[in-house]
Amino acid sequence: MLKNYFKIAVRNLIRHKVFSTINILGLAIGMASAMLILLWIQNEVSYDQFHEKKDRIYNAWNRASFSGELQCWGTTPKVLARTMEKDFPEVEQATRVNWPSSDLFSVGDKRLTVSGNIVDSNFLQIFTFPLIKGDPKSVLHDMHSIVLTETLAEKLFGNEDPMGKIIRLDNEDNFTVTGILKDLPNNTRFKFEYLLPWSYLRSAGGDDTNWGNNSTSTYVLLKPNASLSSINDKMKVLKPRYDKEESKWEMFLYPISRWRLYSSFENGIEDNNGRIQFVRLFGIIAAFILLIACINFMNLSTARSEKRAKEVGIRKVVGAQKSSLIGQFIGESILMAFLAAVIAVVIVVLILPAFNQLIGEKVTVAYGDLNVWLAVFGFIIITGLLAGSYPAFFLSSFQPVAVLKGTFRKGNALVTPRKVLVVLQFTFAIVLIICTMIVKQQIDFAKDRQTGYNKNNLVYHFLTGDIGKNFELIRTELKSSGIATSITKTSSPLTESWSDGWGQEWEGKDPNDKTDFFRYSQEGGLGVTAGLQFVNGRDFDLKQFPTDSTAMIINETALKVMKFKDPIGKIVKDNGVDWHIVGVIKDFILTSPYEPTRPMLITGAKSEWFNLMLIKLNNQHSTGDNLKKAEAIFKKYNPEYPFEYKFVDEEYAKKFEAENRIGVLAGVFAGLTIFISCLGLFGLATYMAENRIKEIGVRKVLGASVSGITALLSKDFLKLVVISFVLAAPVAWWAMDNWLQDYSYRVQIQWWVFVLAGMLSILIAVITVSYQAIKAATANPVKSLRSE
Amino acid sequence: MIKITDLEKIYRTEDIETVALNKLSFEVKEGEFVAIMGPSGCGKSTLLNILGLLDDPDGGSFVFNNEEIAHYSESKRAQIRKRNIGFVFQSFNLIDELTVFENVELPLIYLNMKASERKEKVEEVLKKMQVMHRRNHYPQQLSGGQQQRVAVARAVVNNPKLILADEPTGNLDSSNGNEVMQLLTDLNEQGTTIIMVTHSEHDARYSHRIIRLLDGQMVLENSLI
Ligand SMILES: Nc1ncnc2c1ncn2[C@@H]1O[C@H](COP(=O)(O)OP(=O)(O)OP(=O)(O)O)[C@@H](O)[C@H]1O
Ligand SMILES: [Mg+2]
Repeated sequence: MLKNYFKIAVRNLIRHKVFSTINILGLAIGMASAMLILLWIQNEVSYDQFHEKKDRIYNAWNRASFSGELQCWGTTPKVLARTMEKDFPEVEQATRVNWPSSDLFSVGDKRLTVSGNIVDSNFLQIFTFPLIKGDPKSVLHDMHSIVLTETLAEKLFGNEDPMGKIIRLDNEDNFTVTGILKDLPNNTRFKFEYLLPWSYLRSAGGDDTNWGNNSTSTYVLLKPNASLSSINDKMKVLKPRYDKEESKWEMFLYPISRWRLYSSFENGIEDNNGRIQFVRLFGIIAAFILLIACINFMNLSTARSEKRAKEVGIRKVVGAQKSSLIGQFIGESILMAFLAAVIAVVIVVLILPAFNQLIGEKVTVAYGDLNVWLAVFGFIIITGLLAGSYPAFFLSSFQPVAVLKGTFRKGNALVTPRKVLVVLQFTFAIVLIICTMIVKQQIDFAKDRQTGYNKNNLVYHFLTGDIGKNFELIRTELKSSGIATSITKTSSPLTESWSDGWGQEWEGKDPNDKTDFFRYSQEGGLGVTAGLQFVNGRDFDLKQFPTDSTAMIINETALKVMKFKDPIGKIVKDNGVDWHIVGVIKDFILTSPYEPTRPMLITGAKSEWFNLMLIKLNNQHSTGDNLKKAEAIFKKYNPEYPFEYKFVDEEYAKKFEAENRIGVLAGVFAGLTIFISCLGLFGLATYMAENRIKEIGVRKVLGASVSGITALLSKDFLKLVVISFVLAAPVAWWAMDNWLQDYSYRVQIQWWVFVLAGMLSILIAVITVSYQAIKAATANPVKSLRSE
Repeated sequence: MIKITDLEKIYRTEDIETVALNKLSFEVKEGEFVAIMGPSGCGKSTLLNILGLLDDPDGGSFVFNNEEIAHYSESKRAQIRKRNIGFVFQSFNLIDELTVFENVELPLIYLNMKASERKEKVEEVLKKMQVMHRRNHYPQQLSGGQQQRVAVARAVVNNPKLILADEPTGNLDSSNGNEVMQLLTDLNEQGTTIIMVTHSEHDARYSHRIIRLLDGQMVLENSLI
C-alpha cells in the first residue's frame, strides 16, 4: 500500500513539474528560514549549559534601592566569595572573576594585546572549560602562573610546546604557562583568552575587603541538594551584617540557567525583557514563515484537487476508506516536505556564514549530533502534517458519485478557504513590509540627528604604556609634523560615558534635586579638537589661565537643571573639588542617539582622570598618510605597545548596529514572506488560468479585449491583497507604535508609509498574477475551445 | 442477494426537487444477470450508485446479503463494498498515473493482500481479459476497448459476488462492445451476479431479465428466460 502511494506521489511530482517546483521550493525556503531561526534560538538557549555542574552554579547579585527604585546588578564586593564559603555550609566553593582586562603580551619580539580575566584558582573546578594540558586543580596556584587558550598559545609560540614558557605582561611581570585550555565555545558569557590567578592581583595591591566596592563577579557552586531559597533568605541579610551603613541592601543568587535570557530586572524583579523577548519574537516569526509556506502548500494542493478528484473517486469505488486516503495524501505531503527539507538543509549550510554576520553571532550546526537529525526528521513530519492536513481531509471527502459522473465542480466551498489562506499570507507580508520601512525610518532619523561635534578625521588612542609620560612630546611632534591640528587628553571616548553621578552642589540648588550628570574630563582644547560649539564663555586654557585646572564646562541641558542666569564664574562642587564654570556648550550626543542628551559636566586637569588622547587629523593630507606617520611617532615614544587607534565616526556608527540588525532582519523576512506568498499566488493564478481557459476562449470569440480579460483575471487576486492590507495596517501600526515607545527620540509613524507598502504589495501581486493572466488572455481561442 | 423496498432518492437544489427514485421495489437473486433500461434521466445511474453503496437512499429499505444497510456509515459501506462489489463504468475511470497492472492491483491493495498473491491474481485476470501484454502501459496508451477490458479486470480481480456496470459499452464500437458483453456473460456463468444499466436492446439481450424504469419508477419487468 505504501509503495503504491509512493509511486503515485512520485509520478504526480514528475508529471506536474511547475507545481512540484513551486510547492517544494516555497516549502524549502520557509523551512530554511525556520531552521535558521531555530538554530539561533538553540544557540541562545544553550548558553553556558555545557558546564557539568550547571545545576549548582549561581551568580551573586545585589538588589538595592536608588532614588526610590530597586536596582539589580551582578557585580559584588571582592570579599563576598570567601565570606560565603565561610558562613554558608551550603556553599561548596565560590570563585571570583575580575573585570576583563586587556594586556600587552611579550614573547621574544612578539607583541600582542590580549584580553583575559583574573580569577580565583578554583575557577576551573567550578566551570567546565577543559584543559588540554595541566591540572585544573593546580594550574592557577602559583601567583605567576598563566593559563592560555589553545589559539593564543599557538599565536604566541607556534608549534612549540607552550608549557613552562615565560610571557611578559605589560612590561612588568613574567608569567609561566601552566595550562592550555581548549578554545572557549561561542555559547558562553566568558570571553577570555587567558586566565591569571587572583593571588597575582592581591600581590599587585588590587584586592580589598571593602564591602562598598562592588566590582567583581562572584560565582557560587552549591553543594548537591542545597536549598536555594534558604540560602537566598540568608543572602538577604548578609550585607547589612558586614556593612553597617547599608541596612536594606540585599543580595541573592541567580541561577546559570537564567543568565543569558532572563537577566533583565525592573524594580528588583525579572521583567521578562531580556533576550528571551527576542527568542520569543523570532520563534513566532519562524512559526509564521513556516505556516505561510505550509499555507502555500495547502493552497496549491487544493487548487489541484480537480485533477486529483477522479483518482479519489476511483479509489473509493474500489474500496478505499476515507482514512486510507487521508493517509495517502498526508504521506504525499510528507514526501514533499522531505524533499523540501533536503533543499532547506543545503540552503541553511550555504547561508549560515552570512546569517551569522548579520546577527553577529556564531551559530553552528552540530552535524555529528543525532539529535539534530532527529529534529530535522521531526521537522519534516510536522511540516508534512501541517501542510498536508487540509488537502488530505479536503480531497478525501470527495463523493465518488459526484466525481465520477463528471458533475464535480470546484464550487464556492473550495474557493473560500483558499482565499482566506492567501489573505493570511499577504497580511503577514504587508505587516513585515511596513515594519521594515518604519524601522529604517527610525534608524535614518537617529542617524540624521546632529551629533553636536565634528567626527570627521577624529581618532583616539588610549594612553597605553609610556604615552601618558610622553604625552607632551607626542603632541608637539604630531602637530609640528603636520599630522594633526589639535590634540586633547580626555577621560573617555566621545561616544561613551564612563562616569556619571548625582549629589553635586551649586548655589540655589533644590535640595530634592537628584539629577544624574555625565562626567567628562579634558585638559583643554576639546572645543577645537572635537569642534564643540560654545554658546557662552570659553574652553580651558591652562597656559593663559593657570586656575583652569579646576575649571568646568557644562552643556545647555545642565544649565537648564542648574538654572543659572549668568553661569560664568559660578561654583559647582563635585567629588570634593570646587569647580568654576568658564563655558557652556551646545549639547552633544555622548551615549545614545535615540535619547535626549543628558546634563553633562566637563572638568579640567584637576580631575586627574585621563585615559586617552583625542586627535584631530590634518585634512591637508590623506588619512592613510597621517596614520602611517603617526605610527612612527607613537613607536618612538611608546615602543613596547602597538599603535591601536580608533575612528570616532566608526565608533559612533556602532550605536546603530542593533537597530540596523532588526531592520535588515525584518527586511529579509519581509522579502522571504513576499517571495513565498508570490510563489503561491503564481501557482494559483496558473490554475485559475487553466480552469477558465474555455471561458476566456468564449469571451474572446465574443469580442473581449486582451486587456479586459487580463483585468478580469487579475481582479479577484487584487481584491484579496486589498483585504490583506486592511487587516495588516492596524497590526503593523500597533507593533511599530509599541516598538518606538522604547525610543524617546523617535519618528512619527506616517500614513504614506502604509500607502506605499499597500501599493508595493499590490504591484508585486499584479506582476505575479498578470503573467499568467496575460498568457491566458493572449492564447488563441480556437485552441483553448478545442481543449474541451 | 439484493432486496429493495420503496427506495427513494430525492435531489434537492435551491428551488427544484428532483425525485430520481420514487418508491422503487424489486429483488435480485444470486447468480442473476439483470439489465436496467429506460430513457435518459429516469434514475438508472442513481439506482446503480445506491446498489453499489456509493450513495445513500433518502427512504425505503435496502437489504444486501440479508443485512439492512440503508443507513450504514460511509466507512461501513466501504468495508462491504470492497469485499463484495465490482464496478464497470461507461467512461472506464482508470487512474492515469498508474499502469494497467497497478490499476487492476488497486482493489487487492485495499484488501491488504500480500504482494506475491496480488501479482498472481492480477496476472491471471489480465490474461483472461487479454491485456497481459499491456500490463506496463498507462491507460492513455490504450484503445477504448482495451481500457474497458482493464476496467472489467479491475472489477473482477477480487472475485466480487456482484458486478455493477453502468453503460459498459457506451463508449465502445460494436465489436469491442460485444467482447465486453461476452466477458460479463462468462463471469455470470461462473456465478457472479450482474446488474447492468444500458441503452442498448442488443446488450440487454445478454441478460436474464430487464427492468424498465420511467421517472424513478419501475414500469415493466420482462424476463428473457
Ligand atoms: N447531483 C444531482 N443533483 C440534482 N439532480 C440530480 C443529480 N444527479 C442526478 N440528478 C437528477 O436525477 C435524475 C436521475 O438521474 P440519473 O443520473 O440517475 O439518470 P440516468 O437514468 O442515469 O440518465 P442517463 O441515461 O442519461 O445516464 C435526473 O433527472 C437528474 O437530473
Ligand atoms: Mg446514467
